[in-house]
Amino acid sequence: MHSVGRSWLLITGFILFYVIYLLFGALVFSSIERPMEDKMRNELEALKQEFLNLSCVNDAALERFMVKVLAANKYGVSVLRNSSTNSNWDLISSMFFANTLVTTVGYGHTTPLSDTGKAFSILYALIGVPFTMLVLTACVQRIMFPLVLAPVGLLQRSGLEPRLATIVHFLLLLVLVVLCFFVAPAAVFSKLEVSWSFLDGIYFCFISLCTIGLGDFVPGTQPRQPYRPLYQVSVMVYLFVGLMMMFLLLRTFHKIADLHGLTTFLQLPRCEESDMEEDREPMVEDGHKDLTEKKAIKPLEPGSQPSYNTMNTG
Amino acid sequence: MAAPDLLDPKSATHNTKPRLSFSTKPITLTPREESEVREKTEKSRFLKVVATVMKWKTVTAIFLLVVLYLVMGAAVFRSLEQPHESAQRLAILTQKLEFLSTHSCVNQSQLEELVKQVVSAIRSGVNPAGTLTNHSSLWDLGSAFFFAGTVITTIGFGNTSPHTEGGRIFCIIYALLGIPLFGFLLAGVGDQLGTIFGKGIARVEKMFVHWDISQTKIRVISTLLFVLFGCLLFVALPAAIFKHIEGWSALESLYFVVITLTTIGFGDFVAGGSEIEYLDYYKPVVWFWILVGLAYFAAILSMIGDWLRVISKKTKEEVGEIRAHAAEWTANVSAEFKETRRRVSVDIYDKFQRATSIKRKLSTDLGFNPGPELTLPRRTVSVNFNDERSEREAGLQGLTTPLARNGSLFMNGLDPERGDIIDHFK
Repeated sequence: MHSVGRSWLLITGFILFYVIYLLFGALVFSSIERPMEDKMRNELEALKQEFLNLSCVNDAALERFMVKVLAANKYGVSVLRNSSTNSNWDLISSMFFANTLVTTVGYGHTTPLSDTGKAFSILYALIGVPFTMLVLTACVQRIMFPLVLAPVGLLQRSGLEPRLATIVHFLLLLVLVVLCFFVAPAAVFSKLEVSWSFLDGIYFCFISLCTIGLGDFVPGTQPRQPYRPLYQVSVMVYLFVGLMMMFLLLRTFHKIADLHGLTTFLQLPRCEESDMEEDREPMVEDGHKDLTEKKAIKPLEPGSQPSYNTMNTG
Repeated sequence: MAAPDLLDPKSATHNTKPRLSFSTKPITLTPREESEVREKTEKSRFLKVVATVMKWKTVTAIFLLVVLYLVMGAAVFRSLEQPHESAQRLAILTQKLEFLSTHSCVNQSQLEELVKQVVSAIRSGVNPAGTLTNHSSLWDLGSAFFFAGTVITTIGFGNTSPHTEGGRIFCIIYALLGIPLFGFLLAGVGDQLGTIFGKGIARVEKMFVHWDISQTKIRVISTLLFVLFGCLLFVALPAAIFKHIEGWSALESLYFVVITLTTIGFGDFVAGGSEIEYLDYYKPVVWFWILVGLAYFAAILSMIGDWLRVISKKTKEEVGEIRAHAAEWTANVSAEFKETRRRVSVDIYDKFQRATSIKRKLSTDLGFNPGPELTLPRRTVSVNFNDERSEREAGLQGLTTPLARNGSLFMNGLDPERGDIIDHFK
């Protein structure tokens, strides 16, 4: 039981450090980008005044104006009158940006404008991305037991055949994840965001949780959004938890594929299970495994695979 | 189970991790195990070669499948999005002509209207600035192929995105199937990359063996070589090419390369997204570079993750050692303390026994009634014989065991002379 307590401590330490890392990135981004953004906004305002003072408008002036508007819009700066004075680089929004950076979602609704910002993004991403992956994997391993292994064991004990139990459990988990992380948030988003329909909400959830992050829909970027910081923070939490569930689904699927011999059938590497304790060279193990599996050319035979429960070595 | 699993989740997303034998655990090798590990890795490399020969066909098959899937996706996207795009472009053109024909003082509301139109046109992916007549479509086959590629690699630039409902629904389904597919491909390519590089490294390592350098140093050098060579091939060279063709600055090209290969994909810079005349094979080559570069970056990221794990493990080991030392010290101190306490209490008890027996003798001699027997209150001294401490106390135990047993009986307030039943013993 002591080691369980220690692993919980480690997880909380990881998450705490992750939050601190995000805050640090947010601070740096905010301090680098905010002046640039203000400058761009002032320039645009001056241009607009200049345009309005002209008695007659000609094509060249219009072109110039539009080019500037486009350039500004690309960076998220709007020139409309009723747009709020919310900066895209205040602390919470910068944190949101840093989050999209390290989870590799990368919406692109705000991007670094200055050279320093770009250089810093490179460094930040190179360190932050593997670290985020570390945290996510650690979390997934921790919740693997209560969400996957325990229920599967329960199903098996209640009489279902092991393979069927794993498939049933996976389908149940899939339905649960779709309901909780796609349908429900989509409904919430379609209520909170004025221009989003329900389909838009589902589209956004899917594109974000697969870390594609096209950026055509980003919550919290509307002008005059009430409770904007709180909203953005809750979206960040949703992204993190949703990503974790996606990884959990994938890992479970990989384990099932291992169990049913699918990975050996396609000659792909198997799901590694707590190699870290024994500190083995993965090459050695898999090399031997591959040979023995080729000899036992019956990957789908029921007896040749270990049971699902024996994979729980931790 | 305190160690986090370092299966790189990006690869977990793609269901595997690229195999690079030379990059794992460069620090944990000890000199004793070097020769054994070398034998093992030699054998495993041989076995790996056998395995990868089998996988080559699978990889080619999967690659063809992915290309086919992309072409199909591009065709569907084009048929869904292009009509919508032309309608949008027409609307913007009409708006602009209307504005130009007024030629009068513009008031605020008209300007706002124009800007709103401009912004929404941009969101649809149409650039109203510049001449609209010879504007190339964003959804022709090449660009749609590129878009499909950005979706299934999860980069997701966003400079083009579907705007029709049908396009969005199709995008979801397309990604659901395409991402795992691309994951398999990435796994295969990563394996191939690892094998090719592993063979090269093996040859280089053979050279180094003649020079008698330790295995650890060879590992470190080979890792550095891998990183440098890969950076040159997949980062520096493409960045220079992009700088030349796209006209970006050096930093912007590097920024684009890193943002793309880590699959973040902001979309503020996109190769092939500007208004330049590109060669026909430019975009497919860019996509191929993305594929191989992604495998390389996944390897780099998992290596960084490995290092982080090793560092955390070493830190844990050191912390564990410190804790073990502290525990040992505490155990020793408390054992000594208990020993002293026991000796003192035995001493006191002896003296008390002597006093009582003297008193009894005196009373029998003088003919008094024996008073109530004063017994020491029952004190049960609990000596925890934990596993760890029992080993450390083994030295002490040899000396003190018989004494301790007797002492514990005495300390329980039992008087063997009175023949009390020993109902508890430690």
